[in-house]
This record gives sequence, C-alpha cells and structure tokens, in this order.
Amino acid sequence: MRKQVRRSLFDKVWDAHVVEELPGGNALVFMDLVVAHEITTPPGAIAIEKEFGDKLYEPDRIVAMIDHVAPAKDAATALQAQTVRTWAKRQGIRFHDIGNNGICHVLVPERGYVSPGMTVCCGDSHTCTLGALGAFALGIGTTAQAGAMLAGCLILQRPKVMRIEITGELPPDATAKDLTLSVIATIGFRGGTGYVLEYTGSAVRALNMEQRMTLCNMAIEAGATTGIIASDATTAAYLAATPGAPTNWTALQADDDAEYAATVTIDGNAIRPVVSWGTNPGECSPVDGIVPFDAPAESLAYMDLQPGQALRSIAIDQAFIGSCTNSRIGDLRAAAAVLQGQQVSVPTIITPGSQAVRRQAEKEGLHDIFQDAGALWTHSSCGPCLGMSMGVLAAGTRCVSSSNRNFPGRMGDGGRVHLAAPAVVAASAILGRIASPAEIQAREVVLA
Amino acid sequence: MIVEGSVLPIPRANIDTDQIIPAHYLTRIDADGMGEHLFEGMPDGVHLMALHPGASIIVTGENFGCGSSREHAAWALLGRGFKAVIAPSFARIFHENAYNNGVVPVILPQETVDELMGARSIAIDVAGETLRADSGAPIPFALDPLRKQFVLGGGFLKYLNSKIADVRAWEAAR
Repeated sequence: MRKQVRRSLFDKVWDAHVVEELPGGNALVFMDLVVAHEITTPPGAIAIEKEFGDKLYEPDRIVAMIDHVAPAKDAATALQAQTVRTWAKRQGIRFHDIGNNGICHVLVPERGYVSPGMTVCCGDSHTCTLGALGAFALGIGTTAQAGAMLAGCLILQRPKVMRIEITGELPPDATAKDLTLSVIATIGFRGGTGYVLEYTGSAVRALNMEQRMTLCNMAIEAGATTGIIASDATTAAYLAATPGAPTNWTALQADDDAEYAATVTIDGNAIRPVVSWGTNPGECSPVDGIVPFDAPAESLAYMDLQPGQALRSIAIDQAFIGSCTNSRIGDLRAAAAVLQGQQVSVPTIITPGSQAVRRQAEKEGLHDIFQDAGALWTHSSCGPCLGMSMGVLAAGTRCVSSSNRNFPGRMGDGGRVHLAAPAVVAASAILGRIASPAEIQAREVVLA
Repeated sequence: MIVEGSVLPIPRANIDTDQIIPAHYLTRIDADGMGEHLFEGMPDGVHLMALHPGASIIVTGENFGCGSSREHAAWALLGRGFKAVIAPSFARIFHENAYNNGVVPVILPQETVDELMGARSIAIDVAGETLRADSGAPIPFALDPLRKQFVLGGGFLKYLNSKIADVRAWEAAR
C-alpha cells in the first residue's frame, strides 16, 4: 500500500497553486493576490505597458497603495506615486491613495484582502507578514512582481519547511516582537534561508492576529522565504471583523505527524523582552542584560558599543514606534500604557501602520497620551524605518525602534538602530536610554 | 557568453541590499541612475570601490543581498559595470533578481571563495558553468537550468507571457 504523505500546512497551500512543474526543480506557482506599492511597482508596470500592450493577467487580483513615502516628499517620489495612481485607475485596480492608505502589510490584512490558503506576493520583503493568516505570502523583486501581474504566476523553487514550535506561554512582559527576535537569535540571521518557517505550539496559538503578524513579519530577517501559521478561531474572528469579511476560505492545518526538513523547539516561558545591540536582528539580548563578550567586533565598532556594557546604560537620541512590524492598534496601546502621564526626553516619532489604525487610536484617545508626553504623532507611512522620510537619522545618532532592521545605515547613513518592542521603545523614550517598562512602573511607585 | 574582469573582494558575510543601495535613492520610476550610488550604504563601501577601480566581478561572503527585496541592488551593480557575484550563498530575493537582470550569481564553497578573493582577474563561462581565476584550473559551478537562459538571453517576462494560456486553463479548471 502506498504510504500516505503527511503534509505540512505550507505543503498544502503550495500543492494547491502549482500550475506546472518546470526544469531545474522550479514550479510555476499561481498568485491569488499581487500587492503593489509606489517604490517597487512603477518599473515593472511600465515594462508591461511597453512590451506587452499594458495587458495584465487579472487586475482584480492586484491591490495597490501609496505607503512608503506618504505623501510624496519631493518631485521624484511624487512621480512614483502618480505613476501608480494613474496605472491603477487605468487598469481598474483597487487603489488606496493617501488618506485612505496604510503600510501594505498592515492595510492588506485589515481590509480582509487575504485569507487562509491564498498565495500573495509583493515587491517588498516583509510580505511574509501575511503568513499570519495562513497564506503563502512572499517578497519578490520588481521583475518577478511584473511577471505575476502579467501572467498570474511566479517561478519558484519549492522551499523546505522548518517547524518552529513555541511551547508554554509567553511571560506577561514578553511580546511577539521579543519572540520573533528570539527565534532569529536561535536559528541564526541566515538560518532560515531556503525554508518556510511554520510556527506552531501553544504560545503561538495564544497570540492574537496582530501579534502573529509581528511574528511572521521578521521571518525574512532569518533569511526565510516566509512564515506561516495555521488558521483557527482567532483567524476566523479577525477576518469576520474586516471590511472585506472574506468567507470563501477553509481552515488549513498541518497533518498530524507531517514531515519537516527541520524542527526547532523554543520554550515560550523563557522569552524575555529583548533589544538588539548589533547590526542584524539576530544580534539581540535581554533588555536587562549586557552586550555579549563574544559579540562580533565589526558590529560593535559600527554601533560604538563595548562588550559587557549594560544595555540599559546605552543613551539614545531618538525613538520610533511604527513600521510593518509594530504599528497596529495593540502596539500603540502598549506604547500608550507606558507613556501615559510621562514625558519623553528624546525626539519620539509615533507612526500608525494605517489611516484606519490612526483613526482607531484617536477614538481611544491614544493620540492625546502620545502628544501630552511630547511625542510626534504622524499619519501612516513606512516612515524612518528605511531611512526614506519622516524621521531619518543623522550620522552617529542612535535610535531605539520598533521596526525590523538594524543594518548599517538602514534608518539613515551612519545612524545606529536598536530594535525592540513598542513598550521598550516607549520606556526608552522617557528615560533617554535603553530602558525596560518595569523601570517606569518602579519610578511611579517611588514618586507615589 | 564569457564574463571576464577584475575583482572587487568584499570579505564579509551578510552584505544587505540597504548597504548595496540605500533606500533614499529608490525614488525613480525606471532602473537607471543607481550605479553611481553603489555601496554608498556600506560603511567602507566608497573606500573599497576606490581601491578596485574598473572591477566587474564581486567576490564576497555568505548571504549576499539579504534584507530588502529592492531590485535596485541588481540595477546598481549593473549600472556600475558589475556582471557577476561569486559567494557561498545568496539571499533568495537577490538571487532571483540577479538572474532576472543578467548578473551571474555564482555559488562556490567558502574555501574556493576565499581563494578567489585574492584573484586579479576572473573569467566566467556562463553557458559552460566553469570559471578560471588568473591562470588557474577551471572551477565548475552550477546555475539554475531554467533561470540560466534569462542570464544568457534575458526574456523572463517573455517566458511568463508564453505561459498565460496554460495559466488561464489551470485557473478555469481549479
């Protein structure tokens, strides 16, 4: 009798989208949705216009938005936005212009454009975020994105699958950001290369949908093709509450005893609030800890840090809460809980992930808490995360940030970035150095 | 197709695409104008480039091109005359972007890459999948057999265009 193949969650989504096997282990993989933003889309859209008569596979399978530089900061970025704007209108593509926009990886799920079992691609590496909804979602280049818009497909090598089980439950002060940074530190900055990370276990099931997005968002920072999480009642409730409220999806889980190319188990009970000290996201340690004695000299030279230095002794020049990693309403609530009644001591920028998130935050009065604390409350944008606009760092300055990349120069040439969860960023903004939220609470007790 | 030239050695792993081309240059609607800013995001990038004028082949460490999906990284390399990158491994998105733009992504073991760091000149036979450093013996490597044709003759979008009827038939039967 033929042995029944027990499939992972990823395998099921992949198998349902293979149009054709191609030479060299490649496959033509159907894309249910292509997400298009103003930075990476224009050259591909123009190539299709020039070479293929402006013909798209199915405009209904595309959603476009202005997100990176919103609104445009100069004539060049205005032309990028205008190119996407006119293209979307001409093609009848769903389009979210400034005012009704958001960071693509925040806006696309909140509108209900993605549901379990779908395939999604975008010319943006953090598209892996959408794996939180049980979709196979991946970042690609401009040319590949153009191919998906032209022919409905990507050419892909089938990735291997790594099962990452997070057991137990996260301590009350540990967040999905701390978990995702800890996963990268565990498997390594390039440890996920060639893999899809299939997150499972009690600590993952306990996360709400926004937290699952934070977890999946940084799969790319371990080199992985993407992350993916099985759909459950949390997924169903989230989708039902979106404006799109998709109903034509079925819950997908891995088979029991599915075979994986690699398996990693992490104790969720042991996850601590962490902050990065180096120049890739895997280089992080507990906020209450020190710069490791075996930290790479090159990372420390760029970051101007010493081995053994207490992380909480590191003075900062700026704080940023935002980005596709941590800019959803739960992130803003966590920051507001720390900032309530406090004053920031360094320039602090708080950027909601979408205009819908912004409006929700303002209904809850979070914007008053932020502004009373002296922080700058902005409209939605990718902002300073990638050093493009709205808070770029000066050379030699140091920012603690809820974003996803601490690469040299990421937030501005010569700028230094420490990655952390929103509550840690908020506490650091108050004390002007890397700090834990518990320090703010302790200070309150003393003052009382 | 022979890709031949002198070497820019970058003896480090994890050169990310923000270092290859910083985001503040990604403000064009075409692929032009990136070459002049190549490696401006790398702390010693401008210095390294000045040490190796006219180089057209990069030899570097693991995970080259990690991070952002920006195809501008491949455009910046091409714009500055770089035709190939030799490394022990590439980040997935850059690897595909390299193929789609005709930048030859050569994967070789770390020891071989370490030896090639010191080479003056390298000649890569793309079709034959071998390379020769200075007057050394040929070193074989492997390219993706499908994507290799995009390096040799371009045509990635034409290839996908030829598949549209098949895709529509698949979708109709879905």
